[in-house]
This record gives sequence, C-alpha cells and structure tokens, in this order.
Amino acid sequence: MSNPANDEILPELHLSWMKRRGPWNTHAEPGKYGLTLADIQVGEYGETPEESSNLTGRSRGSTPRSTAMRIGGYTVRSKSDIWVENASFLYEEALQRQWSSATDVPWNTIEPLPDDVEQAQCQLATFLTEVEFVAGDVPARWISTTTPDYFEARQVLLAQVMDESRHMDVFRKRALANGGGLMKATGATAGFVGGIDLSRDFTEMSSRLHISGEGAVLTIFRMGELMAYNDAEKAIYRLCAQDEARHVAFGVMHLRYMSQNAPERREEIDTYLDEAERAMLTDAANPAGRLTQTSESLCILLGGGRDKFDEGFRKIVAIRRRQLQEYKKRVISAGFGERFENGRSRLNEMMAQAAA
Amino acid sequence: MSKSSSKKKPSDASPPMEIPEPKFNWMNQSRQWGTRVSPGKAGLTLDSLNVGIYGEVPPRWTDQGRNPRGAIPVKGALPIGYSVTEKIGLWAPCAAELYEEAIQRRWAPATDVPWSSVQALPDDVETAICQICTEISQYANVDIEVITNWQHRMSYGYHEVKQFLATASLDAARRYEALRKRALINGGGLGLEPVDQVNRFLLESRGGWTETVAGIALVRGLFLATMCEYLFRHAYNDAERAIYSHVIQDVARLITYGVDHLRYSLARDEEKASTTTTMIAIGLALLARDLRDPVLREALAIVFGGGVAGARREGMSVFFDFIEDFRDRHIDLRRWLNLPADVKSMPRAFRPREQH
Repeated sequence: MSNPANDEILPELHLSWMKRRGPWNTHAEPGKYGLTLADIQVGEYGETPEESSNLTGRSRGSTPRSTAMRIGGYTVRSKSDIWVENASFLYEEALQRQWSSATDVPWNTIEPLPDDVEQAQCQLATFLTEVEFVAGDVPARWISTTTPDYFEARQVLLAQVMDESRHMDVFRKRALANGGGLMKATGATAGFVGGIDLSRDFTEMSSRLHISGEGAVLTIFRMGELMAYNDAEKAIYRLCAQDEARHVAFGVMHLRYMSQNAPERREEIDTYLDEAERAMLTDAANPAGRLTQTSESLCILLGGGRDKFDEGFRKIVAIRRRQLQEYKKRVISAGFGERFENGRSRLNEMMAQAAA
Repeated sequence: MSKSSSKKKPSDASPPMEIPEPKFNWMNQSRQWGTRVSPGKAGLTLDSLNVGIYGEVPPRWTDQGRNPRGAIPVKGALPIGYSVTEKIGLWAPCAAELYEEAIQRRWAPATDVPWSSVQALPDDVETAICQICTEISQYANVDIEVITNWQHRMSYGYHEVKQFLATASLDAARRYEALRKRALINGGGLGLEPVDQVNRFLLESRGGWTETVAGIALVRGLFLATMCEYLFRHAYNDAERAIYSHVIQDVARLITYGVDHLRYSLARDEEKASTTTTMIAIGLALLARDLRDPVLREALAIVFGGGVAGARREGMSVFFDFIEDFRDRHIDLRRWLNLPADVKSMPRAFRPREQH
C-alpha cells in the first residue's frame, strides 16, 4: 500500500511526451517459435538503414530528441560492414540451444584412461581453453563499437561471446576431471600481424575468426566421435560443434551480404582469404595444423594411443583435407568461389600438402 | 621408438604416406598432474575447479596472452595488450558461482514469455508502457556497450570474471530484446529516446572497471531492479510479469557481482573507497538530474496509477515509494560496504516527499 503524498508536493503532469512516439499501432504476432526477432521486424521497426547516423544509442524506431547527447562512439555504422540476413534465426537458435557445462555433460561417464591418452586429452583441452576465448574477447570489442541500429547482428555476437565462454570452461573442466591437469600453453592467439585480435576491420576479423579459424575447429568438433573416449567427451564435442556451426554461419552469411552489397570490397576480401588460406595448415590456432603439441596429441587420441601414432596421423591428414574442403564450400557459399577457378587460391596445392 | 631419422616408412598395408617422426616433447609437462575434480550436487561447476595451483589467483597477472591459469606458459609469445591486470581491479569471489547460476537460469524471451496473455490496453497505459520499454531497452544497450568494452581488456588469469561478464552482457541483450518485443506486440510502438546523463556517465567512465562497477551496480543496476519490482507489482498481464521477474533476477546477479567486487577491492585499497564514493555521488547527482525530466517519471506514474486519471495522485505516490525504496536499498548497500551514506546526503530527488 502506497504512502499517500501531500497534494502540494505532487508535480503537475506535462504529458506532452505522449504524443511524441515512434510509428504506432504495431501488432507483432508470435509465430511457431514464439515471438522471435524476425516477428518484430514490422513496418518501420524492421527497416535497417544502409548508413547509421545514430550517435546517441537510441533504439531503432524510437523518436529522436534534439537534446540527446552523442554518446555512441560507433565505428561500425555501415550496414554492409556487419549485417547478416539470418541474424534473427541465429540469435534465437543460440538462445534455445544454450547449455550448461556443469549439468549437460555426463561427467560421471569419464573413467581413468591410459596415461598417454589422458595426457593427449589434457594437452588438447589446454589448447582449446587457451584459444576458445579469442572468439569471446574479439567479438566483444566489436560489439561495443557497433551502432544499435544493427542490433540483430550484435545480438548474435553477444550470444557467441557466451558460447565461447562456455567452451573455455568446458575444456578446463575436462582437463581437471580425470586425474590429469592443464599442460602447456601454445601462444597460438598471440598478437601477430594477421591475427584475429589485431584486425582493424570487422569483415577482416570475421573472415579470420568465423570462416577459417572457427571453421577449422568446427571440422574437428564434428569428428569428435573419433577422438572421444566416453559419453562426456562426445557430448562436449557435439554441443560445441552446434555452437561453432552458428558462428561459422554468421561469417559465411556476413561475407555473402558484403559481397552482394559492397562489391567494391571484393578484392580486399580476397586478400584476407589469401592470408587465411596461407595459414590454414601452418597456423598454430588450427589444432590439426602442424604445431607439434596439438597435432601429436590429436594423433594419439585419433589413433588410440602413443603406440598407434601412425594410425592417428592418417586420420589427422583426412581431417586436414576435410577442413580444406569445408572451407572451400563456405567460401563458395559466401560468393567468393571464383578464386578456386581463376587460380588465385592455392587450395588444391594445399590438399596435396596436407600430409606434410 | 627410433628417433634417428625424421621420417619413417609406413607399413605395407598402409596407403603411401610419409609419416613424420613424432617428438612427444610436450608430454609429461604439467605444473600439477593427478587432478580429479568430481561433480557435486550442482554438477561440475567452475568454482569446483579451483583446487591446488588451479585455484591460485595471483594479485597481478603479468601474462599478456591467453595462458590458462595453471598451465605452463609459453615463452616469447607476442602480447595481446590486456590492461586490467590486477586482481583488485576486477575480482569478485562469487563470480564463478554467479556464472553457473546465470547459465542455469537462462531464458528466451521468444518462448518463456506468455505473449498471448497481452491484451489490448487503454491508449494512455499502452503509451506509458511503451515509453518505459524504450527507456529500459536503452539502459540495456548501455550495459551491453559498457560491459563488452571492458571485458576484452581483462586478463585471462581472472577468467571467472570474464566468463561471468559474458553472461551479464547476454542478459543485457535479452533485456534489450524482451522490452522491444513488449513495445511492439500490443498496438503500440517505441517512444521517445531518453536524454539520460547516467547512460553517458557509465559509458564515459574510463578511470577503471571498479569505478564503472560502482555506477553499473549501485546506481543504474539498483535503480533498474527496484523499478522492475514496482513494474512487476503493477503489471497488466502475465507476459509483463514474466519479463520483469526475469529482468530482476538477471540484474540481481550483476548487482551481486558489483557489490562483491567493491567489497573485495575496497578492503584492499583505502584510496578506492574515496574514489568509489565520489563516483557514486556523481552518479546519483546525474540520476537526480535525469529524474527531473518528466518522461520516465510520468510514464511510471501512469502505469502505477492505472492511467492518466490516476497518475498524479495514486501513480505519483507509488513513484515516490519506488524512489524511496531505491534510496534506502542504496544506503543499505553502501553501509554494508563501509561507505558513508545517509538520507540527508542524497540529492533531494531521492527525498520526494520533503517540501522543497
């Protein structure tokens, strides 16, 4: 029950603001999947500007006030710089498929493993703990400088930061759950030129992070059955793969949008793809690449032990080839397939080198 | 295994592939082996991993890469450039627990809000609700931009905090989305953008994360949580009740992190107590200035009073209750933190029933 207020101290109502509102009479309708972001793309509220002049951080479609301060120091203000057509779908799926590494992984299925296999598992888990959150740190930085006019794309990236956080913790959990421990870091995401952290442009970053980096990891997670020794590990790889698939889809769809709507940047994007391809098999951030500590641990896991290294190596070569094939499909899907026909891409040569 | 040559021939049954001689020089390298953390009642939680050296959180994290805490660091890796490198600048003992709680309490505005319960409302009430939705959405936008702007600057050694903040930024994304959905589902639309000094204060807080936390938790967070409690009590349908109750529990975690961090930090640095007190005083002064703008105040009064007719007396009385509740809770938290606080020292806007 409210304390009654003395009438003298009650302010008079102005109410003039009630007539200053965005487009009215909006009736968004929930669909089969509830009330999704796609369902509220109605009328003017669904219109995203090609260039955003919103420097006050206001919600798209709200009525601007001339007295509002310019507090949004946004660097991403062109739609083609960040947009994806299926952002609503990716975001809603991400929310529906959030999982818990504490309770959705059957940890009690983990049994003691031979020491060489446990060491390999822990080395791989150490590596993944190390690299997974590059995909948390870096999107976070871009989110903070993207205009809310493109909030749908930003929502997907926010879900990605959460996903990567879970990946970082689930692999730490795996390393410490079975009589092992963390092993040696690799420095795979250190600040070198061409690294994900140092990208100066969102699409440049996305091509490195989503298309090549996470694409390579996705291939490995999808083959998790081959290197899992219990249901807990199978669950980890399966759940991480579904998250990574969304992140890769974001990259592919963004690149496609960019290629269709900013064709003047196609050559530049091809340069990023050149760079990504050069690094695919040599980059330390690819666990199936040539860095000894990750590739050897994968070989042990895939082969079934240190003494079955050769068998594991053959499988890792198959994984590398699959990584390259899947990368090629993504790049074609993104609209940059001509690089595989005009001789620009060295992918065929790299296929042959996959066993090196 | 022979190490005399760098290549060896595969067996006759194998496809023709040269298999490199493994080095295995990464094996048997761990700072602490033999760790076996078992899942407890709440599963395998992040906090439960803090055993032995893995639970040693140093006061300063000098590693400038993504070396997981407890792993053997790699030497010579190029720095990434983290700037929040001291435990006192971000740590909260409850961060890991809050992280797991956030995951367990995840929700999806698309499907966890009973949107079909929203029925047509009188135009004045709908307008007021839509204005409030516009304001809370923009608060959420600021939370997103502030948190993501700091998160990527935080050292990897304090991963629990980085991970909790990943949940906090996704919570803010959901707030942004849920309130926008509410504004667009019932024949209304978005309202007038807020001219909000507190938004500016939070975004422009560059001194340190601790100071930013004081603003996010004790000023904005507490104000929002208290407002949502009142909105919950005066909700017009189950959908609104669901939204506000989810927002309250999400924001409660952010406040809890903030208070826990401030307590940790202030106990270790006397200087922090005075800068934090100054930051809070500035934040409150700006909030008081924001409250002079009639838009939010009148919109709340209309909702609390059941329409324009009841807004000036009944609605404004409830609004005063809300302001006084916020003030008293704020003072309680400050006292718990051993920071000076009393009603008289608060700006007059927080003593709404006093004759001025």
